[in-house]
Formats: sequence, C-alpha cells, structure tokens
Amino acid sequence: MSRTDHAGPFIGRSMPRIHDPRLLVGHGRFVDDIDDSGALHAVVLRSPVPHGHIVAVDCAAALACGRALLVLGPDDLELLTDELPTAWRIPGQRARTVAVAARTVRYVGQPVGLVVASSRAEAEGLAELVRIDIEPLPAVLGLDAALAEGAPLLYPEDGTNVVGEIHFGDAPQELERVMASAAHVVERELTIQRVCHSPMEPRGLLAEWIPATRRLTVWSSTQSPHVVRQELATALRLRVDQVRVVAPDIGGSFGGKVTTYADEVMVCLAAVSLGRRVKWIEDRTENLTASYQGRGQRARARLALDGSGRFLALSAHITGDLGAFPIQAGTGPFQVTGLALEGPYRFERAGATVTAVHTNTVPTGAYRGYGMQEAAWIRERLIEEAARETGRDPLELRLLNLIQAEELPYTTRTGLGYDSGDYPAALRRAAALAEERARPSGDSVRRGVAVTPSVEITGFAPSALLEMFQIDWSGWESVRVRVSQDGTVTVFAGVIAIGQGIETTLAQIVADRLGVPIDWVAVELGDTDTAPYSDLTSQASRSLTLAGAALMQAADRMRERMFELAAYHLKAPREEVVLEGAEFRWPAGRTSLAWQEVTSRGWKGWGRSEPGRIRLEETADFDPPAITFSYSAHGAAVSVDLETGEIAVEDYWTVNDSGVLVNPLIAEGQIIGGVAQGLGIALTEEVVHDPVTGHSLTTGFTEYILPASADVPPVTVEHRSTPSAVIPGGFKGLGEGGVIPGPATVANAVAAAVPDIAECLTATPLSPARVWDALSATEAGRA
Amino acid sequence: MTRAVSLVVNGRPYTAETEDRTPLCDVLRHRLRLTGTHVGCEQGVCGACTVLVDGEPVRSCLMLAVQADGCRIETVEGLATEGALAPMQQALMAEHGLQCGFCTPGVLMSLAYAERARLTAEETVSEVLAGHLCRCTGYVGIRRAIERHWKTEEAAG
Ligand code: FES
Ligand code: FES
Repeated sequence: MSRTDHAGPFIGRSMPRIHDPRLLVGHGRFVDDIDDSGALHAVVLRSPVPHGHIVAVDCAAALACGRALLVLGPDDLELLTDELPTAWRIPGQRARTVAVAARTVRYVGQPVGLVVASSRAEAEGLAELVRIDIEPLPAVLGLDAALAEGAPLLYPEDGTNVVGEIHFGDAPQELERVMASAAHVVERELTIQRVCHSPMEPRGLLAEWIPATRRLTVWSSTQSPHVVRQELATALRLRVDQVRVVAPDIGGSFGGKVTTYADEVMVCLAAVSLGRRVKWIEDRTENLTASYQGRGQRARARLALDGSGRFLALSAHITGDLGAFPIQAGTGPFQVTGLALEGPYRFERAGATVTAVHTNTVPTGAYRGYGMQEAAWIRERLIEEAARETGRDPLELRLLNLIQAEELPYTTRTGLGYDSGDYPAALRRAAALAEERARPSGDSVRRGVAVTPSVEITGFAPSALLEMFQIDWSGWESVRVRVSQDGTVTVFAGVIAIGQGIETTLAQIVADRLGVPIDWVAVELGDTDTAPYSDLTSQASRSLTLAGAALMQAADRMRERMFELAAYHLKAPREEVVLEGAEFRWPAGRTSLAWQEVTSRGWKGWGRSEPGRIRLEETADFDPPAITFSYSAHGAAVSVDLETGEIAVEDYWTVNDSGVLVNPLIAEGQIIGGVAQGLGIALTEEVVHDPVTGHSLTTGFTEYILPASADVPPVTVEHRSTPSAVIPGGFKGLGEGGVIPGPATVANAVAAAVPDIAECLTATPLSPARVWDALSATEAGRA
Repeated sequence: MTRAVSLVVNGRPYTAETEDRTPLCDVLRHRLRLTGTHVGCEQGVCGACTVLVDGEPVRSCLMLAVQADGCRIETVEGLATEGALAPMQQALMAEHGLQCGFCTPGVLMSLAYAERARLTAEETVSEVLAGHLCRCTGYVGIRRAIERHWKTEEAAG
C-alpha cells in the first residue's frame, strides 16, 4: 500500500470515478462477460398471440432429436414453481402475485416455457420445433379498447378490465365546488406514451446449481439482488439461504431490472433441474417487446384560477395502462403521478383519482421518473395553457404560484411534506439563463424557449410510511465499514452500481470521514452473500442519499474507535490526538503511530476498551425520518421546422438543488443522462402495437428511436445547495430529476415558438408527423 | 459446417474453430475470451460491438468470423499500453464520458479510427459518434472528452 497524493477533503470534490479504468480497458464484468465454460444455453418460448388459452405445448419434436437437454412448458412450471409476489397494490386489485406458469397468455411475448441446449444457436433451432397450441381469445389493445362497453375481459372473473382505483388529496366534490366558482378553468386530456427502458445491456443471467451443497448461485443483470434472491427462493420453493444472487457490472437499468421476471425463474429452474450452469441473455427484440415497460397513461386534468391568476384548484383523473398483470411495483408509478401532481406550487385545493386498467400488452412498472415526469407533464402543460388563455406571462404566472422559500416546510394537499430549498430562486435563475439563450426565428423555422420548475421525491422512503400504505418494501439502508489489518478500508453496502458512480461517491464519503487516502478504500456491492440487506437498493433516487447517510454514521463511529485506540497506544488523552496524513500524532507527547499500526494492533485485540467489541467493523442502519425533496428548474430552446414538423432542441439548461453534492461531476452526469431520456420521451420514443395482431411494431432500434448524439444539445447544469435537514450529510437524491420536467419543458418551448399549435401539444412523443398534423391545421403551417 | 479462422487480434495471432454463421463478436468474446467488445443489439444499430478490422471500424455483430479470416483485428483490450490508459481513455474518464460503461468499448474503437483518419473533432462527433447509442450519458461527456482530447493532440502537434 503506497502513500498517495489523494488528500481530503473528498466530499464535494469533482473527481473522476475510481472504477472507470477497468471499464475503459475492456475489463468490465457484465453477465455475458463471465466465464461460462460448460454452461448450457436457454431460449425462452414466448406467446405469439396477445390473448389466448394454451391448449398444449408440444415438445416431442424438440426432445426427439436428442439435442435438447430440457424443455419446460406450463405443466412443468405449474408443478415446480410458485408465484412471484407483488409489492405496491391499488384498492380493488385482486391479483397479488405474478404467475410463472402461464395457462392463459395475455400479451405477445409473454414467456410460456424454455428450451435448453448446449449452445444458444442450438437452443434457438430447437425452439422452432416446439409447437405452442393456443386457442385465441379476443384481445384489448390500448385504454379505449379496454374500457369500451362490452370489451373482452382479461380476467372475466373481475367483470371489468379495471384493476382498481384510488384517490389522493381533496375530495372530488370539493374540487368540483372550487372549479364551478373559478374565474377561469383550463381542461385538457394529456397523454404519455409507453416507453422501453432500453439499457444498452439487456437482461441476462447465469444460474448455477451445485447438487452437493444444494445451493443456487445466480449472476444476474439486476438492480435488486436481495429482492431477486427472496423472489427466486419463493418461486423455486427453496430456503432463502440456498440462494445467492450476484449483480456484477450492470449495463444500465433505469427501473427495468428491479424485479424477477418469469423467464428468469425458468432459467434458474433449469439449472436446478439439470444440476448444471444455465445461461440466458435476452436479445434486443425481446428487450423491446417483452421486458416490462414504463409510462403509458392518460389524464383528464383541470386547473382553476381566480381573477388574479392564483391557482385555486388542480384536479386530474389519471388512467394508467398496467398491461397484462400487475408486476412488483404495479400501479405504483400511476399512484405517484396522483401524489406528486402539485409539484412546487401552492393550490388551494388539489386532488387526483388514479384508475389502473388491464390491456393485452406488456406489463408496465418503474421507469426513471416514476410517475413524477407524468405529473410534471400534466401540470406544466396546463399552466402553460392557462397563461396563454388568460393572456398572462407564463413565467410570472408560475412565480406568482410557486411555494416561497419561507413557506417551507410545506405540506401539499396530497400530503407530501417538502423540506427545504428556494423554488422561485431556481426558476428565476433558469429564466435568466433563458434570456441569454433566446434565438430569432427564421421564415420556415420558428424558435421558442420555456422554463419549468419541478420537485423530486428522493431518498424513498421511511419504512413507517411504507407500512402505513401497506407497500411491501422496507425503506432503510444498511452499510458496513471494515478497516482491515493493513489499514485498508472496505465498505459493504446494500445499494448497487448501475452506472451511477455509487462506488466512487461512497469511497469519497468514507475516505473523507475517516481521513484516509481514497485509494485505500474498496467498495463491495451486489453480492447477497456479503452485501447488507436492501429492498429498494439503487432505485427512487435513494442510493447515495440513504446509503450515504448510513455510511456517515458508520464511518464516524469507526473514526471514533480509531482515535480511542490510537490514544491508548500513544498513552495520550483522546482529545489531544490528531490524525494527519494517515498518522496519529500526540503533539504534546511528541509521539506518533501510523494508521496501519493502529489497525494491526486493533485486530489483535490490543488496546480494546470492551471485550465484546474488537473487530474493526461498524454497521449502521439508516431509516429516513422523512422523504427529502430535490428541486430544479429546466429550460429548453427549441426550433420547429414549419415545413417538416421536425423539432430540434438547440439548447438545454438546468438549475438543480440536491443538497450536499458528494461529487458534482457525477451529479452533473446523472442529471444530463436523465435530460437525454426526457428528450427521448419528448420527441422520439414510443412503443407501438399493431392494433389487430397485438404484435409490437417497435422491435429494434431502427423503429424504437433512442436519442442519438445529435438529438442532445449541450446541457448546462448549475447547482444550488440547500442541505437536507433530515439526512445526515445533508444529501438529497438526483437520479431521476433530470428526466422529470423535460418533456413538458420541450412542449412548452414549442408552444412558445408556434402558439397556434399550443393547444394540440397534448401527447408525447412530439414526432414530426404529430407536429405536422397540428401545423397543417393552422396559419403558421400554411404560410 | 465449421472451419478454422485465423485472426491477428491486438497483435497476437489466434486460430479458432468456428461455424460459418458465427459472428465475429462471438468468436472474440466467447472463444478468445476478449469480452471487452460488447453486444447491445445484434442488429447493427447500437455500435457497442465496434472493432477495427484491418483499420476500418466494423460492427462485429454483423460480420461473420469467417469473413474476417486473415484480418488484423483491434479491440478495446489493445488500446492501453503497459497498463497506462491511452490519452482518449483518460479524456473519457476526466470528462465523465461513461456511466455504465457498456457502450464505451465500441465508442473508443470508433474514436481510435477517427483519430487515425485525421478527422476533426467536429467530424468525429457528427460522423462517428453519431453511429453509437449511449443510454446513460446523454453524450455530453463523450463530446467534451473528444474536444479535450483533440485539443491536446493539436497542441502536441
Ligand atoms: S451489437 Fe452490433 S451494432 Fe449493436
Ligand atoms: S455509458 Fe451506459 S450506455 Fe453508454
């Protein structure tokens, strides 16, 4: 171990990430990179129809040729697996589990079985020989079809395609009363399309069953190893201690890899049945057509204002397309849209009804922004339209109604308790940046800018809150710090690395608090054998916020123990010992002892103060006392080509407050990455199904269009910092804030560029076809 | 039908038995165990699998291994020398041009090509980076890294 010039303080420093070098030289270790010698390969059999009863899965031909090692169909799966649990339900919801064995299929691509052979190519060939005999049933595609009178039912026993319903905030009658007496009411129907997470690395796993130990080890591209472990144990009828899940490097997730999928259970079952290693790597078409998706909702929403422009009431009826069945998070994102509808504004009354609906399409669930992007879309489009209809300046209207700094802490009508910050200051700053960036329109190209504020739920969530709502998750995080004999420091945390740089930021925190060089620190994540338990891990803008808070506590306790040990060996009063350059010194006694000498003696038990506390390890559990809220204001400058309907985002800027930033460089990267995903929702991304066959038409990256470099302009990120009052360290999350206000900001900038079409900007993506349709109905388009 | 293909990968000769239909990326990743080259789509769109074949950027998911028989292949594993990151790798690190790192090896190979082809920084962004999908970074950090690296190279003459 060498001395290093990496001297603290580390918290607050923009430093490159410590694990980048191995990724840069090609030593990443993603699931498909793990040595798979001897592994068998699986191919998933999927439903070719959107709705139907499986009459038979005929494997005879595939088995007869002698090259298939295993073929699993619904019969085997029913015999050998149990259902997967769900966590977040809606009142009225009957299904509480996800079946691994499908007797009735409810979307094209639903896994129905598995073929295992010695190579992937072989398994693919054999899968073609399996005959899936299905008696088709009429299908419903889209919300209108599902809610139509006499619609075919996904679950006839329910008597409806409605999954359930919940209301947040002020009662509907009260909202009606205020609306009726308001000076002005804006009403719109606003839609957000279905999108795919599209991580560059699809899902995949390598499962190994060792008959001698009766233990299953699964290397899985997952965001939630502990949850997958519990779910696999349940589904495969194993004890939890028989299952180990390891998340190696993860090539992006964004909410798409947070739960166990039925096909993943099948792969593990194959490994257990065969006593062999079995591998399955999802292909891109499967990822885009059969992995769970995000968004997919429509809202009828109204905003009421008084004569002076004050917001009297906001009300929405949100209808969410849940797809074929509720998955783990289920209706959670739709519910959050209702909960977070108000954003950073004061409304005298506000409320939302959320209705979730089944359709014969892929189930939807968590996607970065989790209901909050949808809420911002509804709210900010309505506000922009209100400004236009009442002849007010949109910025002035927003500033008039924003919650002021001195009003914080503030409780919204739906019960969210905003903690700290200055929302108007962020918006004013974004507006000032907008002024510098406004550019003139041309003859056929119109330009416009818009700025939009938002708040972000981060550090989700106090376990007591989850208990209150009976959401089956825990909200706490745990961290273990070990100082080894040689003085090196290892952090074990339950959160995991998905590209967000958490290894570096946790290393920064512990190096800072302990006062050691950062290259003495290792961060161990993702292995259920060694990682502290975590349900939600790195979701919900919580990994640094909550694991960071736990680490502050564990590290501070460890620091204190190190000082006590050093004082003992230096024979010095504790308060006179100082730590400098990894050396403990007692200036008055002119004695000193290296950090490593103290750790080495500590592990021998020399100098211990308590017989029951010897190992140099400290564990801290942290359950947040409250949600902590980040906030931001985003600005976009767009151009609209009147001839083609094409929109270009020419400039983008954000003013963001996520409390104390451990590494501003990483924080900026998180925000910009989110912005790019917001631009994808705003302009190009959309899952499209054939309304007759139910097949997805967006099966590859040429149909499902992700933003490319040319689609993302330079993004300016300015930070403000109001430390969180509820999180030790003052951290707030920022994993999702980048995506939340983007689509609304872009649409509002388009509205500013071409006010004639503002009223039509009610659905994303704002594709050239959609914009061109709107333009051709107006003066601007005909000119 | 299998046959032997001979490749020189990052300066080292290899021979591998492969089937006619096996793409180059599979041979590199699973036979030679050079897993730095990633596969993101197998459809020729994402660019994660980009390697250089006789100096030209190629999507190794679209090229069959047999087509590369006798060729000189360069992959991400060949960029760093004696354990030191190449300047372009350093620039990506300094500008936070990678997050999950899955797309990074393909991006790096395209950039290596652009540098040798003496493209300008602007051309590199508009013609070369344009062929890569990155879901994490929003490309801003990658573009900054390109500008930084090209500027340093210019200064060095
Ligand atoms: S994997 Fe070859 S281009 Fe995507
Ligand atoms: S860094 Fe994750 S896809 Fe580019």
